[in-house]
Amino acid sequence: MILCVLFTNRAGNVLLERFHGLPAEERLHWRSFLVKLTAENLKTARDDEVFVASHKSVFIVYTVIGDICIFAVGKEVYDELALMEVLNAVTSSVKEVCRKDPSERLFLEKYGKVCLCLDEIISQGALEHTDKDRIRRLTRLKPLAE
Amino acid sequence: MASLPPALKKDDDIDDDSEYSPFYGIEKSAVLQEARCFNDRELDARRCAQVITKLLYLINQGETFTKNEATDVFFATTKLFQSKDIGLRRMVYLMIKEISPSSDEVIIVTSSLMKDMNSKTDLYRANAIRVLCRITDGGLLGQIERYLKQAVVDKNPVVSSAALVSGIHLLQSNPEIVKRWSNEVQEAVQSKAPLVQFHGLALLHQIRQNDRLALSKLVSGLSRGTVRSPLAQCLLIRYTCQVISELGPNSQTGDRPFFDFLESCLRHKADMVIFEAARAITEMSGVTSRELTPAITVLQLFLSSSKPVLRFAAVRTLNKVAQTQPLAVANCNIDMESLISDQNRSIATLAITTLLKTGNESGVDRLMKQITNFMSDIADEYKIVVVEAIRSLCLKFPQKYRSLMNFLSNILREEGGFEYKKAIVDSILILIREIPDAKESGLSHLCEFIEDCEFTYLSTQILHLLGNEGPKTSDPSKYIRYVYNRVILENATVRASAVSALAKFGAVVEGLRPRILILLRRCLYDNDDEVRDRATLYLSLLSDEPDAAQDDAKAFLFQDLDVPLENLEKSLELYEPSERPFDLAAVPKDTKPRHQTEKKAPTSKEKKAAKDASKKSAEGGASNTFEAYEKLLNSIPMFAGFGKLFKSSAPVALTEEETEYAVNVVKHVYPGHVVLQFNCTNTIAEHLLENVNVAMDLIEGEDFNQVATNPLASMPCGVTGQAFVAFEKPEGACSLGKFSSTLRFYVKEVDPSTGDADEDGYEDEYQLEDLEITAADYILKAGVSNFRNAWESLDSESERVDEYSLGTRESLQDAVQAVTTILGMQVCEATDVVPSNARSHTCLLAGRFLGDTQVLVRLSVGIDSQKQVAMKLAVRSEDPSVSDIIHEIINS
Repeated sequence: MILCVLFTNRAGNVLLERFHGLPAEERLHWRSFLVKLTAENLKTARDDEVFVASHKSVFIVYTVIGDICIFAVGKEVYDELALMEVLNAVTSSVKEVCRKDPSERLFLEKYGKVCLCLDEIISQGALEHTDKDRIRRLTRLKPLAE
Repeated sequence: MASLPPALKKDDDIDDDSEYSPFYGIEKSAVLQEARCFNDRELDARRCAQVITKLLYLINQGETFTKNEATDVFFATTKLFQSKDIGLRRMVYLMIKEISPSSDEVIIVTSSLMKDMNSKTDLYRANAIRVLCRITDGGLLGQIERYLKQAVVDKNPVVSSAALVSGIHLLQSNPEIVKRWSNEVQEAVQSKAPLVQFHGLALLHQIRQNDRLALSKLVSGLSRGTVRSPLAQCLLIRYTCQVISELGPNSQTGDRPFFDFLESCLRHKADMVIFEAARAITEMSGVTSRELTPAITVLQLFLSSSKPVLRFAAVRTLNKVAQTQPLAVANCNIDMESLISDQNRSIATLAITTLLKTGNESGVDRLMKQITNFMSDIADEYKIVVVEAIRSLCLKFPQKYRSLMNFLSNILREEGGFEYKKAIVDSILILIREIPDAKESGLSHLCEFIEDCEFTYLSTQILHLLGNEGPKTSDPSKYIRYVYNRVILENATVRASAVSALAKFGAVVEGLRPRILILLRRCLYDNDDEVRDRATLYLSLLSDEPDAAQDDAKAFLFQDLDVPLENLEKSLELYEPSERPFDLAAVPKDTKPRHQTEKKAPTSKEKKAAKDASKKSAEGGASNTFEAYEKLLNSIPMFAGFGKLFKSSAPVALTEEETEYAVNVVKHVYPGHVVLQFNCTNTIAEHLLENVNVAMDLIEGEDFNQVATNPLASMPCGVTGQAFVAFEKPEGACSLGKFSSTLRFYVKEVDPSTGDADEDGYEDEYQLEDLEITAADYILKAGVSNFRNAWESLDSESERVDEYSLGTRESLQDAVQAVTTILGMQVCEATDVVPSNARSHTCLLAGRFLGDTQVLVRLSVGIDSQKQVAMKLAVRSEDPSVSDIIHEIINS
């Protein structure tokens, strides 16, 4: 299960989040846990640098592109390696949507598109699509290239 | 950023105009107002899409809509199906999923979605499937099942994936429907599209997970074929492991089925697959070093990968292997050491804890040096892991206690939260207990620590230890200053602990007593009553001159309560204030109070209820405890003169499951009597049993003499009742015996429709299985907190050692299990678990024998290559004759 995908700015403020299979009361805890756990690393992180951690039975991979930090949290089948597939799909799609490493403002301007991409990548906690070109077409309801 | 309330999301800290958010100042009411444009006759697709984006943003920011607002938005959104704009349609699909309409509203959108589901445009179909499956209930699902089945095998991979992923979710709520798709899913697994294969395999496994044969066929089919998607290949490896663990190795060749497949996956081109295979191999039960080597080798290569995720995955897997097979990982030590300086602290921590497990004694000092530098820049969570690893290392190499203890005391002085400090203090306490040489330096470190400790819990724990151990050291006086400082400087809880610790010094060290008395007198003026009370009590104890009085004081201060606190608490709750003082001796000492079976099932005519009730009784699942048994027995006058109940056994079934009458027995042992409690359940709705009693004949043994029976008056269907039989036996003796037993009763026919019983009936009987009174019935499970200390405190003269051959056994675990079951004693320090592949093992057992005599057992077993098991049994007891009895039990 992919438990959570979270976008924050570099200061740790949440911009967009998707939780799956986590009760609402635990979400706040997860949000602050992720931000706290990773703050130190993200301070000096380079673009596209990937970080990984585990906490109890849960895995966390995260990265930063432009002003945006992206976290993916999963368990069971979605261990650190499977989560990398998720994170790669998400980062490449976000870059595609924003056309470059996004600033915070650009990201918010493309908010609707990013939501659509996430909807294609993750369906109720399961990975559905990974290819950025396909995701891009799907969000526009354009047929797949043959 | 300790917490992040939803309100403090993006909008609150916008101060730079040039970078303001497009959602700056967004308000729910305004957006809802804007959403009215969804109802316009001429739809402006662009504007509608913008409003949906705003709504999505609001939902995501934790904004909630009232029921009416949500309904309005939902209805308005459904109007957008009229638009032909495909960008807007995609947003509409997402919006409907986000609003998740209530079941009575879904109907509004069903027809539009059904239309899209049959559309010629593939992507309309895919999205409609996803939305419908998300919002639909079982009823509607039946109607669209046909389309979904078709979609599973659709030639467009997007449609197929949408149906498969939806199937994975629907399986939780409507398994019977999804299970009917089995053939289509099977076809999808053969798809050329990698992700379809991945989703298909995941769904097929879930459908068939309870069918071992089907699973095995699935795995053997796919492991020979070509799986295109690395993700699917990883799943296949997981499922293969499941099959391997169920099949076990081939009994003739010793080969593991599918092992070749796993090994071939180690050469796969996708890293993900290589890892999954390596992990699978390392986690196989009883893995041999030959099987392990190739997996360790590939993992070692990944330790120096440039990708942090791969390094992490490799070190995490090796860390796990090191827990059980440190030698297998030792080859990777050099690569592992270079990871200590890894930028990623998770990787560094895992590397260090692995090294602590695999390193040898000579490398400890070097390793500690490296760790010291590392500790200052990691979070508490990681530090705790390191501290725990260091504790295990110290126990492994006790000679190295100096450097390890120094390390622990150094980090104890640094900043840190409670959990971290507690982990360090716990480690030092364990080292003090296990390594006698480390005691004095450990105590000094702890003394320093409490001088500046902000955690009351830790201070009191340390003061307790100082009171117990300090007086036995070479120079007890040096600790007094630290203890008394607590009385001056700390809060009431710590002060009270300090007063108790001081008193212990006074009781044991005669030379210090006058000075301790002076200090205690000062505590009489404390402003907390607990501190004053303790000081008063200890002063009066210690001021008594005669030696005998001092011995009493010592006994009072140092004696353990000797009863589990849980039981004491329960007994105190049950105690009603009266003339009769509370009797500490009456508190049960059994650590896991035996469960009682008198819980009555609801009066139901159903057979099932009766069966459940009998099952519950058999498992001892009822929540009543030893005290409840005691209460029950005390309420029966004929057992009142038997004295104090010593032990009640777990219920033993005397009938097979699914029989007409379910009977189990609980054996209650008194010093001179044994009472058998038969819990009987009638499962025949047409029968009412009356005057139910149990006739017993002694088959083996001579000591038992039947003295009383207490029949059960009436036994309707589904109600569990008790009949009792009591035997006399020699006082205090461990009498063994075997009985045959028959249930005798009077049967009356019952009309199931009315529940009325006939007036007349007939006598009948029902043969029960034989029951035995075994030695374990006379031994109470009573653990000790520190086995080593308890063992040494018992007279070595009482020790009886003998060796036994246990014949051929499947494993050492098997042998340990068998002996511990026979003796019925408490396993200490979790020593009942034998590490896999161990050739020898020692299990520690503790208990109390009838008459409340403590008995301890050290059980050492070894196994040779022919699986012959030899056992050495050393027993110590407060009464040497009990040690002999334990050996007699094993001999018999």
